[in-house]
Amino acid sequence: MMAGAAQHREPVRYVQIDESLCNGCVLCIKACPTKAIRIREGKARIEGVCIDCCECVRVCPRRAIQAITSESLDLAEKDHIIVSPSTVLYSQFGEDVLPNDVLLGLKRMGFGYIHDQSYTSEIFNLAVELYIKENREKPDAPLPFISPVCPVVVSLIAYRFQSLLKHIPPLITPREIVAREGKTRLAARHGLDAETFKVLHITPCPSKMICMKESILQEHSYLDAAIGINTIYGELKRNIHDVEDDIVLHHSGGIGLSWGMSGGEISGVELNCLAVSGLEETIRYLEKIEIGLLGDIDYVEFRACTEGCLGGPFTVMDKYQGKRNLQKLVRMFGVEKQVKYGYVKKLYDKGWFFTDKKESHEEAITQISAVDIARGIERLKRIEETLKLLPRKECGACGSPDCTTFAEDVTDGKASLESCVFWKDQKRKLNIRP
Amino acid sequence: MKPGGLLKKYSIKPRDFVKAGEGSIRIQKFLKFIGFDAGLIRRISICAYEAEMNVVMHGGDGEMSMLVDPKEIVLEVADDGPGIPDIGLALQEGYSTASPEHREMGFGAGMGLPNIKKNADSLDIHSGNGQGVHLTMCFEVKTR
Ligand SMILES: Nc1ncnc2c1ncn2[C@@H]1O[C@H](COP(=O)(O)OP(=O)(O)O)[C@@H](O)[C@H]1O
Ligand code: SF4
Ligand code: SF4
Ligand SMILES: [Mg+2]
Repeated sequence: MMAGAAQHREPVRYVQIDESLCNGCVLCIKACPTKAIRIREGKARIEGVCIDCCECVRVCPRRAIQAITSESLDLAEKDHIIVSPSTVLYSQFGEDVLPNDVLLGLKRMGFGYIHDQSYTSEIFNLAVELYIKENREKPDAPLPFISPVCPVVVSLIAYRFQSLLKHIPPLITPREIVAREGKTRLAARHGLDAETFKVLHITPCPSKMICMKESILQEHSYLDAAIGINTIYGELKRNIHDVEDDIVLHHSGGIGLSWGMSGGEISGVELNCLAVSGLEETIRYLEKIEIGLLGDIDYVEFRACTEGCLGGPFTVMDKYQGKRNLQKLVRMFGVEKQVKYGYVKKLYDKGWFFTDKKESHEEAITQISAVDIARGIERLKRIEETLKLLPRKECGACGSPDCTTFAEDVTDGKASLESCVFWKDQKRKLNIRP
Repeated sequence: MKPGGLLKKYSIKPRDFVKAGEGSIRIQKFLKFIGFDAGLIRRISICAYEAEMNVVMHGGDGEMSMLVDPKEIVLEVADDGPGIPDIGLALQEGYSTASPEHREMGFGAGMGLPNIKKNADSLDIHSGNGQGVHLTMCFEVKTR
């Protein structure tokens, strides 16, 4: 059905299952929003399209499913590395540690350059405003526009809600802007090639690594590597105490800092906005938008994780405590915008915020053949016939997440009715002879 | 049932604003699953939603049914409520008998039926005072 989406993705998997720990329970197959997991021979396997949401990681009681938290980057060459942490990092050390302390801690670890993202996030807010004001009155404007920031949401849209791709403005995210500007400015300053400098993103989730490699929104990513907050946490924490340095690395106000929590991105956008977090709610709202609802809203900030990136799978602090810390920072730094509108407008007019891949946002005009449609209808009929044979206990014991998906698997020749644990009973009940 | 066609039915309860819209979402998922193009699905979903909401707001017990065929999709929404006394008037943009409560919830712009007319390839309305409403909407499937 969604053949196009599968081709986007290389088989590189950032979410991996350790079969020696897996006991083949059904929790992960039921949690997966793309129904990508099956139990085969007693072990969970990812067979379908994975959008790196980590729902399976979160539900696995045996910790058999883990996401890769870091990538090879020659850390010996630290002086050429630009470190750019997600703003969530600032919430992970307790109430008394300020963003600048965290950035100085990174500096102490020996990284050459430390670039804050929260200030750029405030710049991005204004770019979003400009884009929407310029486009929302156009005939057939795809309202509401959808934030391009959370990569899991973008993958989800590409896989399950393709008609909504055009709702994502062709703007590059703050993390990419920081990386691009960091590289080009340093290169100019030192008279070196931009690629001499490598950007390491400190991330709350594995999905950032995926969009470094291949993103449907962007041809080329300026990020070179990513490391999970939890991976770098211990060493960074040791480096944060007693920072005496008086270098100022953090420049944003409270709005840029609040990006780590749900509602943080839109807090800086003066339009009719909505913030939705958590995968289940995200899907519910995407469904509504897809049938044409919410057209009176300008912009929706979707975050796959509950409470936003604070709830990311690589965070260390509990999301609600992290939220308390961020809220305190927001109060401390105030909600005054630190960025000048005229400055952003100039950059905007120069094309500074636009991705290098505008066409991907146009809906592909695919004319489906009559044969495909007829085949689709036939397949659905067979699935429904198969479903009538099943007990609808939705137990997952067959290895598929629910009876409907099992019926699909059977229809597609990927599973046999014999795998249904109630099949013997069903045959008797329905009077089916072998 | 026509050979090659597939029939889907969903019931609609009047005044049930919590469940309202579910039938349209299911219809939409179903069409997506078969593989129809996004533009066609969008048009059908808009019509299904508007018709469903009209039953919830103005109608009686209702049913939505969809017949899917490789060449044409026929969507019917019927209810046994009070009916529409003057169809021509109801089809005018902005005409609405929605209550103030409905308007508070964001409904009652009087654009539902006009939107259906715009998005469906053909629309047939059967109704009268006390006779319920029966909408038949057809959508042509363009393939290569
Ligand atoms: N199923 C129905 N039962 C009774 N009356 C209806 C029904 N559908 C539409 N109507 C009438 O037609 C009018 C116009 O409908 P519509 O264009 O959808 O506008 P709205 O629903 O915003 O009032 C409604 O206000 C109502 O009086
Ligand atoms: S990460 Fe998400 S999409 Fe991927 S297998 Fe796990 S639950 Fe499914
Ligand atoms: S909400 Fe944030 S942490 Fe979670 S997947 Fe999206 S970008 Fe990553
Ligand atoms: Mg209406």
